[in-house]
Amino acid sequence: MATNGGAGIIQPGIFEDLQKKIDEDTAVKDALRDIVQNLEKQDRAAQSALSRAHSTTTANMPTVIKAASDHIASEIETVQQLSKVASQHPYYRFNYAWSRQMESVCFSILLCGWLGGFGKTEAGQLLTIEEVGQILQIPVNVKDRDTFHLTIEEYLLSLISLLDELSRLARNSVTLGDYRRPLQISQFIKDVHAGFQILNLKNDSLRKRSDGIKYKVKEVEDVVYDLSLRGLLPKDQ
Amino acid sequence: MSGNKNKDTEISSSSSPFMPMFEHFRAELDEHHDRRERIIKASRDVTAASKKIIRTLSQPLPAQVTKSNTPYHETIKTQLSSVAKDLQGLNAHRYARQISGGCQEFMEAALFSHYLTTGTLLSYESAAEELKALGVGLSVEDYILGVYDFTGEVMRFAITAMATSGALPAVESSNEGEMEVEGERRTVLDDLRVLRTVLEGFNAGGGPFGKDCEKKMDVMRASVEKVERTLYGLVVRGAERPKGWMPDADAARPVEVEG
Repeated sequence: MATNGGAGIIQPGIFEDLQKKIDEDTAVKDALRDIVQNLEKQDRAAQSALSRAHSTTTANMPTVIKAASDHIASEIETVQQLSKVASQHPYYRFNYAWSRQMESVCFSILLCGWLGGFGKTEAGQLLTIEEVGQILQIPVNVKDRDTFHLTIEEYLLSLISLLDELSRLARNSVTLGDYRRPLQISQFIKDVHAGFQILNLKNDSLRKRSDGIKYKVKEVEDVVYDLSLRGLLPKDQ
Repeated sequence: MSGNKNKDTEISSSSSPFMPMFEHFRAELDEHHDRRERIIKASRDVTAASKKIIRTLSQPLPAQVTKSNTPYHETIKTQLSSVAKDLQGLNAHRYARQISGGCQEFMEAALFSHYLTTGTLLSYESAAEELKALGVGLSVEDYILGVYDFTGEVMRFAITAMATSGALPAVESSNEGEMEVEGERRTVLDDLRVLRTVLEGFNAGGGPFGKDCEKKMDVMRASVEKVERTLYGLVVRGAERPKGWMPDADAARPVEVEG
């Protein structure tokens, strides 16, 4: 059999060129990974600061918000860095590299905002996707150009995380003697739940996670029921 | 059913302050899902048409090939053109996973057809150009995965040829600069071995592409060995057997020529 050293079927250089293209992609992925890992670290710190909300009374909440906001400020810087690098490449080619972390950052911001951060004068407010985009200084739901942005899916998934966290906060507020907050949370979760119900979701992660909202609605309703049964709800309700 | 559900919800939740926001999200997500489904359907149709092309190509009577495959090429052209506008700009990579199957299968058909007519491997650039004319981008990944699948077709082609003609098919290449070895013809097996060497030397990196390559690598290696084993049977026992006897590639498992 003749083995003619690679000539014949393959024109020389074909696979070398392809290898170069794949290697370039790998280099981009590595650069993105470093930034995303940094973001992940910063977000852990932010969420750790935010988790103190569960053991903090409403009066002392500003200190929690302040601590979380400081961590979020450094996250914003990293997101800027990520946006700069990522925008040099097609957005959806690499978005799997940061999607989960961006969702997590968005959740920290939503929770901090709900507690009364980001210029919200009172607790219980939902930051819109546009407001989150302004805080992160990135565009949202971009359709007409190929650049780094926050997607609707990322926002909605982080909104579900917020509901999970709030259902926990409803119970812990009662422990702290705050009987008003569960009512506020109950109404908020019901309102968001109503919103999710009009979405036509396919069998994807958004569908799976949003299916769990109804249990959160019930959990908080149970807390409110326990309070009302014992006459503990605030009188003005 | 879902329409009724939506209506009920809207009535009962008209007090939710978030409804306008979610109505906007619904419109955006519906648009995305519709686009995604269009692409998946087109990808499936391209895959089916490509499979038919491959099947026709593996049959003898090459003269008929071009003519009988025309409708399938038309199908591919129509399908890809129909989703081309869904795959532009930002969305070019958004639905890569949905269109990938069709692209890979089409690559397999294009590579096989090109090999049968020219004896060479269709280059990425030429293949990408062909798809670009239809408005669809070809990723390096889909091309490489197509090459893996193409080796399987070459294997089936070689074994069918050995079974029917009793010899390994020779290849006449149109490539420039090929070393002509006196008295030795280049065969399909030589080409398979070259492809095997090149694919084994290719570093796909980590991630989903690396995993896909790993899986296809085993299949590709088995294909080359199937041809080697069949040739061995032909060389060792072929001379003793009467004309028309077909060697087994694998005594335990019959070779699936048509699969």
